[in-house]
Amino acid sequence: MIDAVYALTLRSLLLQKRTIVLVVVALTPVLMALAYALARSPGDHDHSFYSDLVQQLFVPTVAALVSLVFGVSAFGDEREDGTILYLVATPQSRLRLVVAKVAAAWTASVLLLVPSLIVSGALSLRHGLTVGLVGWPLAGVVLASLAYCAASVLLSLYTRRPIVIGVLYIILWEGSIATFAASAAKLSISAYGRAFVGHVLPQAAAPVSGTLVAGIVLVAVAAATAWIAARALGRVELP
Amino acid sequence: MSDAAPAIAFESVSRWFGDTVALADVSFTADGGVIGLLGHNGAGKSTTLKLCAGFSTPSSGTVRIFGTNPRRTPDVYRRVGIVPDHSPPWPFLTARRVVELSAELHRVADHRGAAAAALETVALADAADRPVGGFSHGMRQRVKLAQALAHDPELLLLDEPLNGLDPTQRSHVIELLIRLGREGRTVIVSSHVLHEVERMAPRVLVLVNGHLVAEGATDAIRRLISERPRRVLVQPDRDGRSLARELLALADVDAVRLQNGTIEIETSDPAALSRELPLAAQRTDTLLRGIQPVGDDLESVYAYLHDRARGQAR
Repeated sequence: MIDAVYALTLRSLLLQKRTIVLVVVALTPVLMALAYALARSPGDHDHSFYSDLVQQLFVPTVAALVSLVFGVSAFGDEREDGTILYLVATPQSRLRLVVAKVAAAWTASVLLLVPSLIVSGALSLRHGLTVGLVGWPLAGVVLASLAYCAASVLLSLYTRRPIVIGVLYIILWEGSIATFAASAAKLSISAYGRAFVGHVLPQAAAPVSGTLVAGIVLVAVAAATAWIAARALGRVELP
Repeated sequence: MSDAAPAIAFESVSRWFGDTVALADVSFTADGGVIGLLGHNGAGKSTTLKLCAGFSTPSSGTVRIFGTNPRRTPDVYRRVGIVPDHSPPWPFLTARRVVELSAELHRVADHRGAAAAALETVALADAADRPVGGFSHGMRQRVKLAQALAHDPELLLLDEPLNGLDPTQRSHVIELLIRLGREGRTVIVSSHVLHEVERMAPRVLVLVNGHLVAEGATDAIRRLISERPRRVLVQPDRDGRSLARELLALADVDAVRLQNGTIEIETSDPAALSRELPLAAQRTDTLLRGIQPVGDDLESVYAYLHDRARGQAR
């Protein structure tokens, strides 16, 4: 039953017009890596470039934006067009509905982000590419995406302008305050995602935690926000 | 969940949005049969249905479906079918898939069979394998009705289900709803058209500006409405004082006002006035240039019921 909701949501997310924009966003690191590969000179440090690309662009901006938009659309669009009523007026548990939505948004995000990261890594690192150099950042991106998706689903149930608020969080909090205040970074999803990158690549700043803690925090954020979203689904005013 | 509890119980329910009162202290119960929810646009019909469906929380008072709060007990939706005002979901799916999915989500074991039967019931079997996105408004209404019926609910909440249907389809749906009511199900149907509701609902609730202003047998409400005082404006060809005097003497005329050459007549029996007015004009040798009923529109009917309810309350 719930897998039908998951499949329908995934289909709706991938067929929406804004997915084209998200594909372009996901291609940005690939284009930058391609430009780097074409203009590469013998003295360039491939690892440095790749590290900057993943830590400064991929995790905090590309993964965050793609996951935010898919997460918000999973319920937000259905609130707009009334489809949500046909789901809520069923005897399904609210948590299962939310989990199906988060899973669909996460799948859609991962479908765009994973190929982009692998191709970016291949172009940046060429012969230096190893499973670890792609696998660890990939784990960070995938887990950060899960947390972003769940948080975005929650946001879409509480506010009419979830994308604006989500972008403000990404730009103001994660992109600005959390970059120079270590304590603020503990409340930043991207900081935990970047912790995985730091495991195999040099980091500009000290990682907020080890990979195990980062993984636990990201999964915990996803679980907690999904649980709160399920509670919210039983309380919010529906159209 | 108590089986003895009525399908719907509203107890002193109010709902406001900021300064706007959408529903004010409404109480009623519904248990079996078709019940019309009547009112003009913005009267509070949709808010009432949303509260019944658990899509909204009352600002004060309590709403119970089969004795439970649907917002806290989603299991109760197994017994409830809803036709919202919105379009059917997932326009890229076929009508059959939409209805199957609804049955599946309502935990119907044979969801395919249930969907086929529901589509047959709303006379949509022929178009069942076409995407809903390409359907006319009337067909979409029937898809919504089919998805509400597929799990064989005991309570149906239908928001203007006849909108967009052609006369044949309307008759078909009205017959269907009458049959569902006779089977003992509770069917709440909102509409702003009395004659539409009275064809299927033996009981109506009339909402005006968020107040429940009349409740009871449809016949009694109809009688109340048709017997309400009416006003008629008459334009005589000359000074209307003699005609006004003549009219004032009539038993069915409650009041007569003469203003700027126009006579305003208030009567509780418009049929008698229509018989007597030409005779009175003839007796006073007056030619009537125009006769115009005032306040015969639906808004005025609702306003009358509203004023009457407030008057009774006083």
